[in-house]
Amino acid sequence: MSFEPRIIGFLCNWCSYAGADLAGTSRKKYVPNVRVIRVMCSGRVDPSFIVKAFQLGADGVLVCG
Amino acid sequence: MASVRSHENIEMMTYSEVTDVSGYVGNFKVKIRRKPRYVDESKCTGCGTCQEKCPIKAGNEFDVGLGKRKVIYTPFPQAVPNMPVIDREHCTYFLRGKCRACEMFCEAKAIDFEQTERIDEIDVGCIIVTTGFDSFDPSVMTQFGYGQYDNVISGIQFERMSNASGPTGGKLLLKDGSTPQSVAILHCIGSRDVNYHEYCSRVCCMYSLKFSHLVREKIPDAEIYQLYIDMRCFGKGYEEFYERLQEEGINFVRGRAGEITNIAEEPGEEGKLVVLVEDTLVRRKRRIPVDMVVLSTALEPQADAGEVARQFSISRSKDGFFMEKHPKLDPVATTTDGVFVAGCCQGPKDIPDTVAQAAAAAARVLAMINKGNVEIESAIAAVDKESCSGCKTCLTLCSYNAISFTEEMKVAVINEALCKGCGTCAAACPSGAIISRHFTTQQIMTQLEGVLV
Repeated sequence: MSFEPRIIGFLCNWCSYAGADLAGTSRKKYVPNVRVIRVMCSGRVDPSFIVKAFQLGADGVLVCG
Repeated sequence: MASVRSHENIEMMTYSEVTDVSGYVGNFKVKIRRKPRYVDESKCTGCGTCQEKCPIKAGNEFDVGLGKRKVIYTPFPQAVPNMPVIDREHCTYFLRGKCRACEMFCEAKAIDFEQTERIDEIDVGCIIVTTGFDSFDPSVMTQFGYGQYDNVISGIQFERMSNASGPTGGKLLLKDGSTPQSVAILHCIGSRDVNYHEYCSRVCCMYSLKFSHLVREKIPDAEIYQLYIDMRCFGKGYEEFYERLQEEGINFVRGRAGEITNIAEEPGEEGKLVVLVEDTLVRRKRRIPVDMVVLSTALEPQADAGEVARQFSISRSKDGFFMEKHPKLDPVATTTDGVFVAGCCQGPKDIPDTVAQAAAAAARVLAMINKGNVEIESAIAAVDKESCSGCKTCLTLCSYNAISFTEEMKVAVINEALCKGCGTCAAACPSGAIISRHFTTQQIMTQLEGVLV
């Protein structure tokens, strides 16, 4: 079985989340490995969120903003 | 303009400049620099005697270098208010301390050389920014020889020349005073060009067509050439106008001009400007000899658009024009609540579009005034006063200056009208006293558990 990483993506509401949304409306396909959590700004991402994600078994964390 | 000035609910401030804007929707404080015009507005009757008597002339900015004006002047006949201003840089009295001819002849005693600049501060609820555009300077495109050849003129210069109150009294004239027998109008100067502006300026096709029509009207037997990339006649009645001009015998050449030269190579080119172009419809290079060339220049953001954007907290799009909140769903508002945009400062547009956008902006402001209160976002930050230690970490981090510190309670206070809900303060607060509503730590942790466990 191939390795399928589980990645948590904290996406800024105004840019990267809007981009992910646009990818959806433009019917572009992308791999489902990134699980998106919307934040109002990447500044909202507390380091403890990242630690918590790894604790819960995430293989990677993406902070976009 | 005149009826706007006489409206009881409108105060018009001309010859003035906004220097500072602070506050937020419903509570803006605006500082305005009132420049001295050296004419007392309460006394001047606009009779124009001072302009007749003034002995000094300077270049007329409104005629783009084609004409002269007096040093005490109104920029153009319909200017509102109909009161002159003294051009301090050219006035003999300001330069050498002598003359005062205008003061001597003014019956209303309205000339006041002692006037000084003053700063007015006003409170306003909303702001509509309508600062317009600049015209692209075609002299940087040296292949067209603007500023080098006498009879290569810009669109705005043509416009002044064809105006009955303009420097030539409405006559189309070459530099030597004779009438041109052939005119070439070059589209897209500075527009649709990766080296200058990539965007289409939207108005040039139509004003170029209008110019052709004016030339045909004033000089019926003139040869007129339109050199275009694509004709973009998008508005109501515009395509019909294009059709009409085709019937008026205008030569439409599909191709972007490469160069203008005065070197004659073939008979009939002597003493003329030769436009070099590839006619892409017949796939042939052409040399078109003409007497006059009009460059249809691009619309570009005002030179100080960056500074104005900073003052009003407006963002700018890649092309430098002010950015609207949403290109399709909210083309009038900006990302700053209470600040609206209209006209060419937001992007190139023609008169009907400008009028529509301006009316929309006015309606949006009136709706807010009528309502009397402002709805704010629910997803904003709040401080738990009990847990706030008063460390002031959040104060420096807030990009919107929405957090202040109360000395009596020693805690941070969030201005709910200014807070955009970004949550940076909540993430940074060492004591966890700031709650980012709808994005609380607990909510995000639960989401993490939801997607991972």
